[in-house]
Amino acid sequence: MSAQDVAARALPAAQDRSDDERRERAARRRARARTLGLRLVALAVLLGAWWLVAALEVWPRVLVPSPGDVLDAFVTVSGLAPDASGRTGFSGHLLHEHLGTSLRRIVVGSGIGTVLGVVLGLLVATVGPVRTVLEPAVTFLRQLPPLAYFSLLVIWFGIEETPKIWLLLVAAMPPVAVATAAAVGGVHRDYVNGARSLGAGRWDVARWVVLPAALPEILVGIRLGVGVAYTSVVAAETVNGVPGIGGMIRDAQRYLQTDVVVLGILVLGVSGLLLDACLRAVERRAGPWRGRA
Amino acid sequence: MSPTRRPRTPALLVTALVTGLGAALTLAACTSTSSATGDAASADASGPDVLRIGYQLIPNGDLVVKHEGWLEEALPGTDVQWIRFDSGGDVNTAVVAGSVDVGLAGSSPVTRGLSKPLDIDYRVLWVHDVIGDAESLVARDGSGVSSVADLAGRTIATPFASTAHYSLTAALAEAGVGEDDVRLVDLQPADILGAWTRGDVDAAYVWEPTLSELGGTVLTTSTQVAQGGHPTYDLGVVTRAFADEHPDAVDAWLEAQDRAVALLQDDPDAAAEAIGAELDLPTDEVTTQLAGLTFLRGSEQAGETYFGTPDAPGAFAASLASAAQFLHAQGAIDAVPDVADLQDRIAVDALARVFGGR
Repeated sequence: MSAQDVAARALPAAQDRSDDERRERAARRRARARTLGLRLVALAVLLGAWWLVAALEVWPRVLVPSPGDVLDAFVTVSGLAPDASGRTGFSGHLLHEHLGTSLRRIVVGSGIGTVLGVVLGLLVATVGPVRTVLEPAVTFLRQLPPLAYFSLLVIWFGIEETPKIWLLLVAAMPPVAVATAAAVGGVHRDYVNGARSLGAGRWDVARWVVLPAALPEILVGIRLGVGVAYTSVVAAETVNGVPGIGGMIRDAQRYLQTDVVVLGILVLGVSGLLLDACLRAVERRAGPWRGRA
Repeated sequence: MSPTRRPRTPALLVTALVTGLGAALTLAACTSTSSATGDAASADASGPDVLRIGYQLIPNGDLVVKHEGWLEEALPGTDVQWIRFDSGGDVNTAVVAGSVDVGLAGSSPVTRGLSKPLDIDYRVLWVHDVIGDAESLVARDGSGVSSVADLAGRTIATPFASTAHYSLTAALAEAGVGEDDVRLVDLQPADILGAWTRGDVDAAYVWEPTLSELGGTVLTTSTQVAQGGHPTYDLGVVTRAFADEHPDAVDAWLEAQDRAVALLQDDPDAAAEAIGAELDLPTDEVTTQLAGLTFLRGSEQAGETYFGTPDAPGAFAASLASAAQFLHAQGAIDAVPDVADLQDRIAVDALARVFGGR
């Protein structure tokens, strides 16, 4: 059989496969479009229900602002246009300053927390006595609601940035530590033994076997840790939190400016979604073999 | 892939439907309960079934009334409920939400409540106390601050949206210190104490008992700020609906408050003891705190300096209007209500009913 024959016979098969692929891709695209459509419909239903409740004035307008009120608040607070009395911003800061300050606190706090968490997790997974001592401590810390220890942090570190960073650090660290310890402890013995028998040293095993195998789970832990820090930021900003989204929400609550409260919640929610999407992208990039190896 | 995905479509739809239904049901439930209580209240005209009082831990006659049980005594058929709040802002919220009939709040939360955008449908019924030296601006020893003007460039703590915040802003304006020249920090009294001890703040405008715990140098007091044209009060408010439906209960409430002020003036030790029991404080400490407040009998409140009478309205509405003007300039409220409108928000008729002949 000549090479040409082989090629001729293989061609329809290859075409079939590419047809299959194309069909599958089209189906996937349709599914994605359907998901997106459904989400949009759900969002529209939710907005409609909100608008209806506000328009019927079931509760006083002060308690349940309409979507339009919140949009107005957004325009004023973000500085796009001044309100009737010519003011922009809230509590002396524009929306992006509030959000930027909160995000900086989250990034710094959970960044330090992540580094410490990974180190702690590695220690817990590899050194027996450390595990015995630290495991219950990490669990203890993980169960504490942030507001409970925040009072102590304020007494110790004052009212400026330090206690806020500490709170976010303490909130973000335990999930990372637990995930790291579990991931490192869960690396298949065969991988390690295999690498060893091929002559790999301690460092090589750690760098080329344990870390790649544990990385996807560690990244999940980091995502969880950042999420916990994110949900704690409002607690961190209960004392002297302006600028900051949490401080803004609190301030607005004092003056019963519900539209700004709702705006703050929406901004927190949306930026949280974006942050999580970023982390998920990192997760896919750094460990594409997750669930396949 | 697609066969496992297909079931998600109805699941999502169902979730959306259930959420919508749930919201509708909650809505229906809420409206039906509120109308039910409304019916019950209007059906019984003899006296209210329930009187919900929003109170605060401030040393004044309200706590005497609560401790001695005078309202429960005067309204035997009524379930008197005392609900504690930590700030006038919270009392405003509770009134808007319909969970309080009578409440105690400082004059600046009440001014905000009477102005747009809140525009709460309540009326000012009583002056619990005129705030004097019990709220003061103090500078920390070692901060090098000896006058209000020295505060430029310094950090000052106060609980935002309170009467102290209002007085601080007025004192700074009086001394020619701009809001942008100082750093204002929103802290609750207990947090002020911590920040003060650590040296994080240079000065604080706060009330008793925290004020005494801070020590330091007094820069100004609410007495002085009042002389400068910005008096502050702790006020009693009643919702218009309750006042219209149950004038008898309002009268009984006024009588009880007046009796408490009489006790505060005639037998301060007995009053301090009752208040101390509510605040968990020794009597002599309460006596010190009471010294920084002024209490007014009902007959004084019906005089021209305060509420006045329906025929001859007093100066209080104008005082509220000037407070509103000040708050508007600070951006705390959207618009200044006019004096005639504020006059209508003072329950002079109830005062005249009870104290008219005295």
